[in-house]
Amino acid sequence: MPHGLRSLATAGALAAVFVATAAAQDHPQDPRLGRLDAGARSLVAVVIDSARAAGLPTEPLVQRALEGATKGAPGSLIVSAVQRLAADLGRARAALGAGATPPELEAGAAALRAGAGTPVLAQLRRSRRQTITVPLAVLTDLVASGVPVDSAAAAVLALAAGTRDADLIDFRRAVERDIALGAAPTAATAAAAAGLQSTDATHVNAGARDARPGRP
Amino acid sequence: MTAGRRAWAATAAAGWSLLTVRAPAAQTTGTVDVGLSTVRYDGFLASGAASMTPGVRWERPDGAVTARGTYLRFESGHRSLQGSVAGSFFTPAARRWRGEFSAAAGASRYVEFASFWHAVGEARLHIIEAERGAWISGTAGRASYGSAPRGVLAASAGAWLRRAALTLRVSASLSRVGDTSYTDVESSAHAGWGQVTLDATLGGRVWSRGGGRGMYGETSAALALGERMALLLSGGRYPTDPISGSIAARYFAAAIRIHTAAPRHTISRDRTAPRGAGADGAGTSTSARLEVQVDRSRPVRLVVHVADAIRVEVAGDFTDWQPLALSRAGGGIWEVVLPITSGVHRIDVRIDGAAWIVPAGATRAPDDYGGDVGIFVVP
Repeated sequence: MPHGLRSLATAGALAAVFVATAAAQDHPQDPRLGRLDAGARSLVAVVIDSARAAGLPTEPLVQRALEGATKGAPGSLIVSAVQRLAADLGRARAALGAGATPPELEAGAAALRAGAGTPVLAQLRRSRRQTITVPLAVLTDLVASGVPVDSAAAAVLALAAGTRDADLIDFRRAVERDIALGAAPTAATAAAAAGLQSTDATHVNAGARDARPGRP
Repeated sequence: MTAGRRAWAATAAAGWSLLTVRAPAAQTTGTVDVGLSTVRYDGFLASGAASMTPGVRWERPDGAVTARGTYLRFESGHRSLQGSVAGSFFTPAARRWRGEFSAAAGASRYVEFASFWHAVGEARLHIIEAERGAWISGTAGRASYGSAPRGVLAASAGAWLRRAALTLRVSASLSRVGDTSYTDVESSAHAGWGQVTLDATLGGRVWSRGGGRGMYGETSAALALGERMALLLSGGRYPTDPISGSIAARYFAAAIRIHTAAPRHTISRDRTAPRGAGADGAGTSTSARLEVQVDRSRPVRLVVHVADAIRVEVAGDFTDWQPLALSRAGGGIWEVVLPITSGVHRIDVRIDGAAWIVPAGATRAPDDYGGDVGIFVVP
C-alpha cells in the first residue's frame, strides 16, 4: 500500500475510533444493562449504539434485554432478541416514515413480528392522521387471537380512519369475547367490525330522525 | 287509503321486510315503549294521554332501517295513530368522505279530521374523522295534509363533535313544503354514562313564511333497568313540522321501554382493558387475571385477580423488568398504580414466588426467550 494511502487509512481508523469514543461518552452505557453478563452486555450495547445512530428508539431494546435477564435467558439469546427487535424497529420505521413516534415503531415492530407486512403498516399510516399505536396493537392482538393476518389487517384498515382508540380496544375485546364463546376468528372479526361501523353510522345518520321517546 | 291505514301499512311493511331479510352481519332489535304523557298542542287545551310505541331497527354495517308506530289515547277518548319507516344506507368510505342515501315515509291520523302522510328522500355527503365530522344534504319528496300532495325540498348542513362520552351537533336547514318555507338552526347533545343516557336539543325557527317562528327545546333521559328494560323521561317543546304534519306542542312524558330483542353486539364504552380469557382463548393462566384500568387523567391501575395467594408480583417494561409486589385490596384483588405511558407493553405475573406466567386478560405472544409474555395496550 502506498505510504499516502496507508497514512490516510490510519487517519481514518483513528477518526472512527475517536468518533465512536466520543459517541460512547455522549451516551454512556445504560447502567440497567449491568444485570447482563459482561459478554452479552457489550454486544447489546453495540446494538443499542447502532440503533441510536440510526435514529431508532433504544428503550425498547434495553427493555427486551432486561426481560431476558429477568427470565434467566442465556446471553446469546438476549443478544439475538435485541438484534431482532432492532431490525424490526428499522423495518417499521421504513414503513411508517421518519416521523413515526417510538410507541408507533414499537407497536409496528410487534405487528411485523405477528406477520403483518410492511405495506399494511404503510397503508395504516396513510389512512389515519392520529397516532396509529393502538390500531397496530389491535392488529397484533387479532393475529395472536387466531385471525388470519389478511382478515385482521382488512378489519383494522377499515376501522382505523374513523374510529377512536377506545372504540378500537372495545372492538378487539368484542372479537376476543366472541372467539372465547366459540365463534370462528374471522367471523368474530367481521361481526365486531360491522357492529363498530354501524355504531359510528348511528352517530352521523342523516336518517336518524328519531322522535324523542314518549313524545306525543 | 286513509292516513291511519297508511301509518300501519308503513309499519307492517317495514316489519315484513325485516323478517324476510337474511344477512349474517345484520342485527335486528325491537322495542316497545308504554307510557303516560301530558301534552298541550298550540291552540288546544292541555290533555293527558296514554301511549304505546312499538319500534324495530335493523342494522347492517352500511346502513339501518327503523320502523315505528305510535298509538295515543287522549283523556277525551280520542285517538291518534302515527307510523313511520326510515332507511339510511352508506356508501363505502373514500378516505374521509362517505355518501349516504336515506328515505323516510310516514303517516298520521287524529280522530277523523286530521291526517297526514309524507315520503321524502335525502342524499348526504359526510366528511368523517375520528372525533368530528360535517355534512351537507339535499332532500326532496312529497307531503300531504288531507289534500293534494305538496312538493318538499330542503337543504341542510351540520357538524358534530365527540368528546369522551359527549356528542355535540349543530345544524342549519332551509325547508320548503308547498308554499310554506322556514329555516331552522338546531344544536343537540348526547351523553351516556353507564346506565344513563341523556339527550337534549335546543333550536330556533329563525325565519319562516307560514311555518311559525320561535325557540324550541327538548330533553330526555333513559335509565337502563337491566338488559331489556329502561325508564324514559322526556319533555320540552317541539316546533310544527310541515313535512310530517306534527303540530307544535309542549309535553312531558314518562315511559317504560322493553327491548323485545337484546342487542347481539353491545360494545361497551368503559375504559377497562380486556377481561376474561386471553386472546388466544387458551394457555393463559387461569389462576391470575389481569385488568388494566385506564383513565387519561390518572396513572394506570393494574389489577390482578388471584383466588388464593400470599404474594403477587408483576414485571414488565414499565418496571424495568424488576419484580414489583402488588398491594392486596381484598377479595382476591391485588393492585398497583403506575405512570405507564401510552403504547404497547409487556407483562408477566408471579404468584407466591413460582414461575412467571402470562395472566388471562393479556394477549399471549412469544417472548424470544423460549416462553411467552403478556401484552397489553394503553391508549
